[in-house]
Amino acid sequence: MKKVAILAQTKEGQLSEQTKQLISFVSAFHPEQIKLFIIGDVKFSTVPSSVPVDLIQLSADLYADSESVDTIANGLDNFSVFGIKSIQIDNMLSLLAANTKKDMISGIQTLSYSSDKFSISKSIFSGKASLELSTSTASFFSINRNFDFSRISEYSELAFKSSSSIEKTNTNKASIVSILPITGSIPLPDAAIVVGAGRGLKDPGNWTIVEDLAKALGAATACSKPVSDLNWRPHHEHVGQTGVKISPNLYIACGISGAIQHLAGVNGSRIVVVINNDPEAPFFKHADYGIVGDVNDILPRLTKKLQSH
Amino acid sequence: MKILVCISCVPDTTSKIVIDPATSQISSQGLTFIVGPYDDYALSRAIELKESHSAEVIVLHVGTAESEPLIRKCLALGADSAVRIDGNPISSNQIASAIVDYVKANPVDLILMGKESIDYNSGIVHGLVAGALGYVHFNPVMHLDMIADGLHLTVEMDGGKMEVNCTLPAVLGCQEPIAEWKIPSMRGIMTARTKEILILPLGSPSEVQLVKADIAETARKNKMIIADEAEQLIDLLRTETNVL
Repeated sequence: MKKVAILAQTKEGQLSEQTKQLISFVSAFHPEQIKLFIIGDVKFSTVPSSVPVDLIQLSADLYADSESVDTIANGLDNFSVFGIKSIQIDNMLSLLAANTKKDMISGIQTLSYSSDKFSISKSIFSGKASLELSTSTASFFSINRNFDFSRISEYSELAFKSSSSIEKTNTNKASIVSILPITGSIPLPDAAIVVGAGRGLKDPGNWTIVEDLAKALGAATACSKPVSDLNWRPHHEHVGQTGVKISPNLYIACGISGAIQHLAGVNGSRIVVVINNDPEAPFFKHADYGIVGDVNDILPRLTKKLQSH
Repeated sequence: MKILVCISCVPDTTSKIVIDPATSQISSQGLTFIVGPYDDYALSRAIELKESHSAEVIVLHVGTAESEPLIRKCLALGADSAVRIDGNPISSNQIASAIVDYVKANPVDLILMGKESIDYNSGIVHGLVAGALGYVHFNPVMHLDMIADGLHLTVEMDGGKMEVNCTLPAVLGCQEPIAEWKIPSMRGIMTARTKEILILPLGSPSEVQLVKADIAETARKNKMIIADEAEQLIDLLRTETNVL
């Protein structure tokens, strides 16, 4: 791993914690060079690295992903390229991997490198199992958000060695009609705490008790598939096998029975709380804390307790 | 217009995953296989486009003969023909190369597949295919409509969604609610019996080596709190687990 590139997004001009950890993680392999490709604004001037870092800014409107790939791929020969898993990062990495005729591995949970060989474990079956594999040819790696960076050694903040930018290449193959950001709430995949609710809420009008609890916790709200199918809640809140997969520190499931398809979306949560009036709900078997009771009674009491101190 | 729908054949979502001690890999014994749920959405939308825009729909699967009943199901839903690239691929790259080789020899206008397969959860085959062919790529696509000179799409993005117009050829990773899953009709099942499944060999071997698979055991505390003392939960979350 002589040359390393990292592809990352910024939010309000800043890197995510995981991206910073990724930079120091790869710098510990002592590459000659790190190229840091950033999609979005850059409002920082140093990064946690032990080797020189070159900043290359990509225009923020790279949504039509395939358009600028040739330009970015140019100069990535013999680079190992890393990114933290997200929709845009995985899309870009896979396009770049194919463009440079290199193999790519995504969903990476652990990674080590010695004698020109990567040993990787990858999460499979929505976190129900893992797969160990080895490769000496893959050069594109999408790292899971809950990758264990805990063994990172000491590093110092380093100023960029150089800074440049790549403008979007307009090929007229795709044009954006409109962008609808999710506003007013914490995006689900980023949330450290998530409050999810299901059909046990009985009526979409009862959702205020879920929102109140989420607000008191600084949490994002989620829902089960039946609830989004009934249009009680928007599709982007649907957590499960065919919806969003989350791995927050705390997941509180309210009135969700715990169908295996729902569990597939929340398996990665560190602590799971289940509140349900059915003591037989299968979700209790997968809970750290369980409360058998009516969500309409329990949730407002939890909110009140949180607000009291 | 020709639409190629790439399908994965994966264990049913309710399957209990078991490791075969002899091979240290996932055992396929006793598993029921289904067409990947996201691929099923992609296929359903392709069938709708066949009906509304007289498109030709070809189903492609990279896998062994054991998947043929599921390929027949896709034909019963209304796909016109099918291709099975025979082999046991172990990496996204191998599957993508097989699709790319097929498309280079048999050009299509639109390639649809699910945003990811629910077994290996890689979600990169569509990107690898688009990158290799130089086609337009969007993922995950929630709505797909034909317009005069291409496609109108609603695409999920990090922290929102966008509407885009794009030209063909294109490769799209699909997710709900792009279409409703369909059930084959009796007539569909009868006509599927005589539809062609072309079998081609799988090309290059995978450079990635599988070492072993493991079942992830997440130990949960399973602590019950009585409803009258529900407020205690907040204290436990603060002191016992430090998540608040």
